[in-house]
Amino acid sequence: MAQLTADGKVLVVDLAGDAVRAVTGSMVAYEGAVEFAGAGMGGGDGFRAALKRKAGGESLSLMECRGTGRVHLALAARHVVVVDLAGETLQVESEALLAVTSGLRLDVRFAGLGGAAAGQGVATTTVSGDGQVAVLSDGPMIALEVAPGEPLVVDPDAFVASSGAVSTTLVSGVSWRSLVGEGSGEPFSMRFDGSGLVLLQPAER
Amino acid sequence: MGFEVVNSKVVRADVSPDRAVLARRGAMLGYSGDVVFRPVHGQGRGVGGAVGAALSRESVPMMATTGSGQVLYGFRGLHVTALDLDGRAPLFVEADRLLAHDADLQTSVQLIASGGVRGALRGAASGQGLFTTQVSGVGAVALLSHGGTFALEVGPGEVVGVDPQAYVGHVGALSVDLRARAGWRDAVGRGSGEAFQLHVTGSGTVYVQASEQKL
Repeated sequence: MAQLTADGKVLVVDLAGDAVRAVTGSMVAYEGAVEFAGAGMGGGDGFRAALKRKAGGESLSLMECRGTGRVHLALAARHVVVVDLAGETLQVESEALLAVTSGLRLDVRFAGLGGAAAGQGVATTTVSGDGQVAVLSDGPMIALEVAPGEPLVVDPDAFVASSGAVSTTLVSGVSWRSLVGEGSGEPFSMRFDGSGLVLLQPAER
Repeated sequence: MGFEVVNSKVVRADVSPDRAVLARRGAMLGYSGDVVFRPVHGQGRGVGGAVGAALSRESVPMMATTGSGQVLYGFRGLHVTALDLDGRAPLFVEADRLLAHDADLQTSVQLIASGGVRGALRGAASGQGLFTTQVSGVGAVALLSHGGTFALEVGPGEVVGVDPQAYVGHVGALSVDLRARAGWRDAVGRGSGEAFQLHVTGSGTVYVQASEQKL
């Protein structure tokens, strides 16, 4: 079973004859006998997923790393965090995804017009199943908990991923002040209700 | 005595009358004591070295730090890796990745691999050009990287593959070959993005950065 370990800005993948899918071109070094092959857009999860991805403008180009050995993955010196999933679903920004183990399914979920207004596109990527996901963040990741009755509001540009039973709504802070150029610089926020975990990066895209 | 690591992007060097330090010009962040900075030209020794450095474009403006005191070095917010060379094996690195090193260390410009076409291809693919810098002797070196480096040990009989853009340098008796793994998938834009790899064999240590961005 492939094992993902995060070490600061590098993800260490131990392969035992199996495969993981990772962002195209993210390998920086490997030891052992490992082959790299393109795994298509959206990870080859069927034609429908590919179509939805096209429609939603989420582009994610993946490669398959297969073999026995250790692969070091890194992307633009961004920090890496590994999330273990046991049947849950992780919603993640497609550009924050680094690698997924083979037991996980990638799909596209439409976020509605809210996503479009927040500049995220109308679709987000979801990862579900049993396994490990490596998520990238620009700077060390911040995890914040959402509990019933304690909603969390975050900047959409800092949002990386969320898990658990949370619902997302877009909060608009636009007022007449924004229209005359005296806004606070925070015109839209994402509000999370329910119970779960939200991962943020300490930088705004 | 090596460089003292202040944080991931700054090193401190002790400079004394018997220890001068060569550093990239403009990389001084601060100093205490009685220290003088003076530009130096050329990587190697003498006129031949200077001409060689100019021809090979392996030339980065350097300065000598002399006197007695403590100097802080850093450059453009890049990560710094401090190494100690024990004199047993030289370090091979790009000249623009050298932040500072003891003036007692010898630097010379090397033709990559001297392996003809293959060496030339490797230089072109990794953006290194045809030449690299060899640092030999006993002393301290500080290397620049984007995102910090990690070291991979290579033993006899092992092969370590490295992305050409993430390769920083190596110490020891290693041979670095470019391997092309391009297939029809790459030609139609469906490749893995890892069509070119450096295969490192021999025994020594290779340094890799956590990013595919060149300096």
